[in-house]
Amino acid sequence: MSPNIPAIIVRDLVKTYEVPERDPGLLAAIRSLFRRRVRAIHAVSGVSFTIQPGEVVGFLGPNGAGKTTTLKMLTGLLHPTSGEALVFGYVPARREPDFLRRITLVMGNRNQLQWDLPALDSFELIRAIYRLPPAEFRATRDELIELLDVGDLVRKPVRNLSLGERMKMEIIGALLHRPQALFLDEPTLGLDVTMQRRIRAFVAEYNRRTGATVLLTSHYMADVEALCRRVIVIHHGRVLFDGPLSELVEQFAAYRKLIVTLAESGADLNAFGEVLAQDGLRYTLRVPKAMAPAVTARLLAEAPVADLMVEEPPIDDVIEQVFAVSNPL
Amino acid sequence: MDLARIVATFARIGILNELQYRANFFFQLLESAIGLATALIGLSLVFRHTTALAGWTPAELLVVMGIYGVMSGIVQALIQPNMLRLAQDVLEGKLDYALTKPVDAQLLISIREWQVWRFTNAVVGLFVIGWALLWMQASVRLDQLITFGIALLCGVIALYSFWLILATTSFWVIQIESLINLFEGLFAAGRWPVSIYPSWLRVLLTFLVPVAFAVTVPAEALTNRLTGPTLALAAGVALGLFVIARLFFRWGLSRYSGASA
Repeated sequence: MSPNIPAIIVRDLVKTYEVPERDPGLLAAIRSLFRRRVRAIHAVSGVSFTIQPGEVVGFLGPNGAGKTTTLKMLTGLLHPTSGEALVFGYVPARREPDFLRRITLVMGNRNQLQWDLPALDSFELIRAIYRLPPAEFRATRDELIELLDVGDLVRKPVRNLSLGERMKMEIIGALLHRPQALFLDEPTLGLDVTMQRRIRAFVAEYNRRTGATVLLTSHYMADVEALCRRVIVIHHGRVLFDGPLSELVEQFAAYRKLIVTLAESGADLNAFGEVLAQDGLRYTLRVPKAMAPAVTARLLAEAPVADLMVEEPPIDDVIEQVFAVSNPL
Repeated sequence: MDLARIVATFARIGILNELQYRANFFFQLLESAIGLATALIGLSLVFRHTTALAGWTPAELLVVMGIYGVMSGIVQALIQPNMLRLAQDVLEGKLDYALTKPVDAQLLISIREWQVWRFTNAVVGLFVIGWALLWMQASVRLDQLITFGIALLCGVIALYSFWLILATTSFWVIQIESLINLFEGLFAAGRWPVSIYPSWLRVLLTFLVPVAFAVTVPAEALTNRLTGPTLALAAGVALGLFVIARLFFRWGLSRYSGASA
């Protein structure tokens, strides 16, 4: 596929659920038997973006932002209320076999492997479902097993594996048919830090080797920082930001941190900004982003500065701020 | 054929799963034995008072009983477990993985569970049929055997379709257990030829729950009762139910993808 034909195109995608609603209590429950009141939930309200083949894109947003709903529309599990989604030129909702063969879905909170059997048996099942030629299947399977370093685990019943080990098996199962688009919904959910790092490194390596397109949702910013050059921030069903991670910080970080080391004591840095911490002669100041250059200049001119560093706030803080600012409540 | 390969692989996995619970086999054997003994006692009690029931001799009724065993074995081993899993997956929103596979969704949800020990009932049923045929000293002609096979297949299709319709209602109704209990109650009536029942019940057992087509019609094939039109009707009902079930399932699926969170 040539790089200028997008892998994923989403235009004005909307998903509205109708959810039955009633007041608490017996009387209301009885009343609702006869007259059902429904409320429309706008899970996704007009999302548009384009993803090129081979891109790894992080999909960020608080719970209920519409991330999973969008992912489900892209994998053909949900029909959009309106708008358009195209993945490799296919309309996902039609669930054509050729389309399904080219994608995969991994959900951190769901499993598809046979619980009581070794993962190898489940892999055979997947081979039959995707009609994989035996030689190709074995090559892919063994490559994935080696990449994730689980050679001795694939023969153990899945129920005897740890959560992280199980996730690795789920990922192998999801990739046996060599999909060209990976939709990963919280793939590191509940895993410890080491295991998260392993999965992350694996996804990066898989993307490098196969050129697969990856769309990933995660609560863990570390996942996104490590894997995604581009992020799409979604909140209340709308895209708030779409661009490089560095630009997100640039755009939404309202403050800069100045780390100042003085040559001698006695200066009062409170005049320059909010002092967050002081450790001997080392001060951490917080100043509004717009004022950072001016404050830096003043500090250098007026205080006995030995060393000065400007730091961007951690990405987690920025994201939190994004959602706090845009929350209408 | 790919289809056969998929089914065979699922069957193999199902057997592997069940082999881990060998105790189930012995429980199932015990259950089948008790079931058979109760049925035989019932039969002997009836024939202490009469020599024929609505035109059926004791040996012929034994054929009915055997076919009932075969059918309930198939239902319990394959149809019911898969349909219960479907209902449960719909309830818990766990159908997602099945729907992202490049295989017909209805096929996939119909072959995932194999409770192989439950086939014991079917095997016992086959023995009962053989025993009954020996008792009758009937020589079964090949064409009879073929019509029996066709009738049996139609019966299985009708039962499967009926179950699929039942399970598909879980896209709208949250609990389908009561429906299943109702089915089991009505299906138990299949131990006897439907002709012994009053006409209102007979209609119910023919067209609402396809017990008549699943058990009585195949039994008619083995006991020289089956007429061409009846077999045609059985085939028509099986086909019709299957089409209805498939359309209904698709409608349910579109609701799943249209509404669930």
